[in-house]
Amino acid sequence: MSTAILSAPFQAEFDANSQEFAFAGVIRPRSVDEISHSISTFRNAIEEARGVLYINVKRLAQMNNTAFHAFSRVVLDACRTRSDIRFVVVTSSVVGWTERMFRHLGNIEPQITVEVYDSKFYPGQSFVEDTSFIPILRTQTKMTWRHERTILPRHGMRPGIVMADICCGIGDFAVLVRKEFQPARIVALDHSRASLAYARDVATNFGISDIEYTYGDASEMLLEDNQFDLVTCRHSLQIFNQPDLLLKELYRICKPGGRVYITNEKNSHCLGEPRAQSIQWTYNEVAKLFSHFEMDVELGPKSRRYLADAGFDDILVESFMVTNLDGEPQDFADVITAWENVYAGEMAVKRGDPPEFIERFRQGFRDHIFAALHPKGYAGWPIWAASGRKPL
Amino acid sequence: MNAAQRQPAETKFEPLLQFEMEMGTFLSDWHHCDQLSTYMARMISHNRTDPVRHSNFFSSALNELLEVSFRGGSPEGRIGCAVYRQGPMERVKLSFPCPPRQRRFFREAVARTRKDDAYARYLDAISTDLAPSREVILLDLAINFDAEIRLEEDEPSITIIVDLPLEGIVS
Repeated sequence: MSTAILSAPFQAEFDANSQEFAFAGVIRPRSVDEISHSISTFRNAIEEARGVLYINVKRLAQMNNTAFHAFSRVVLDACRTRSDIRFVVVTSSVVGWTERMFRHLGNIEPQITVEVYDSKFYPGQSFVEDTSFIPILRTQTKMTWRHERTILPRHGMRPGIVMADICCGIGDFAVLVRKEFQPARIVALDHSRASLAYARDVATNFGISDIEYTYGDASEMLLEDNQFDLVTCRHSLQIFNQPDLLLKELYRICKPGGRVYITNEKNSHCLGEPRAQSIQWTYNEVAKLFSHFEMDVELGPKSRRYLADAGFDDILVESFMVTNLDGEPQDFADVITAWENVYAGEMAVKRGDPPEFIERFRQGFRDHIFAALHPKGYAGWPIWAASGRKPL
Repeated sequence: MNAAQRQPAETKFEPLLQFEMEMGTFLSDWHHCDQLSTYMARMISHNRTDPVRHSNFFSSALNELLEVSFRGGSPEGRIGCAVYRQGPMERVKLSFPCPPRQRRFFREAVARTRKDDAYARYLDAISTDLAPSREVILLDLAINFDAEIRLEEDEPSITIIVDLPLEGIVS
């Protein structure tokens, strides 16, 4: 066994602009001498800081007691000599032991507070992690799978691979992939405990025990570097306020030579006949609404640029249109109903839109449903599927 | 006959994984603690509700135990580590050769993890000690991992038995 494989080197860095000292990785020294440089950097950061110093341990996968005591002593000593400074330790709800271990510092010195980083930090996260989103996720996967099952092999899906489905939602994609492609291992991660509970229930009911569902923050994952042949992340970059950050994490966990597969929409290109104008107006407004909450549901065609900027090569991009003719038109209508409920019923209300706007907004969804169910109608929802290879 | 067979109360715990190695080999590289704890954690966590987070938590606890044996063990003899499971609980049994003075120290340190002043002692150690003592590491396991710790002595070795209810904490 080599240390390099099992334990990534740790980072201890100070960002003077945000007065944030961040620890990341695995810090398990035998003696304090091994981390003396980091301790010195930490001391200097405290000396330089004014007001509040943030100590970010969200990406701290492991820290042994030797390191914990050494860094804690620096903070506690500073509290005793500097009454003008406060410390805020930001832990992660994902890495449970950090929350338990660091909370004690606040019980020793009132100048230290410990906060748990959670979904409230993402502007739009509360909408997509709400249980009301589960029907959307379920019906969407049913509709998109008809296309993706033929698309995925072009993007690296094949039997026997080790794969991760990041932002797995209710886990239905992982279940379909497992059945169709028989990967050797599937890790499925999401930040919604409600969705994961649903996923685990479904897996239990279907007798599936080999999908590893895990709670995690896609932008700060506990998963180790270079692990997966294929990393899938569907419909998620577009609802994340920093898609480049998310993509960087997907790149990190992907094996060199492996691929990262993403799907995203361009909502303003949703279409339907009859009543095309009303439909188009509403979906243009959907894009603006998401933009208000720092989400880009127009991201689909930008996938190539995002993948290139993240360092991928051999980038493949294709698009497909989910339509009312793919299967049961009612399935398509159910998706639109779910969108109307969340977008018009919750998000527009939260933005403070007036009732007359919301009514017109709702009408476009209803017209889309009308088109989908019309005996001569056509309704479409375009999706961009893209993947890139992590260079060897 | 191993310890699990000797004690009827432990028969409910199912064995999951164990390793044994020469203590001299173990002590030849500090990174063995990290490597073994990471590997064992990953193996035994694969069928827990949240394997990734369970593995992270378990590795953290096991690494501390291995570090304790690294710092307090004798170079002669063998180190053995076995992990068992009963429901939401994992049991770690770590055996290693230990000089008589150290055995006494461990006896007292393990007893202190169950005393009423355990948390006060733990906070005091964080506040004042330059480096964590092995006693503080056992307190850390009891306080931060809700561990129950026992000690068995079988001269010249000791066995630290740690029950970790991590499934409940993680999920």
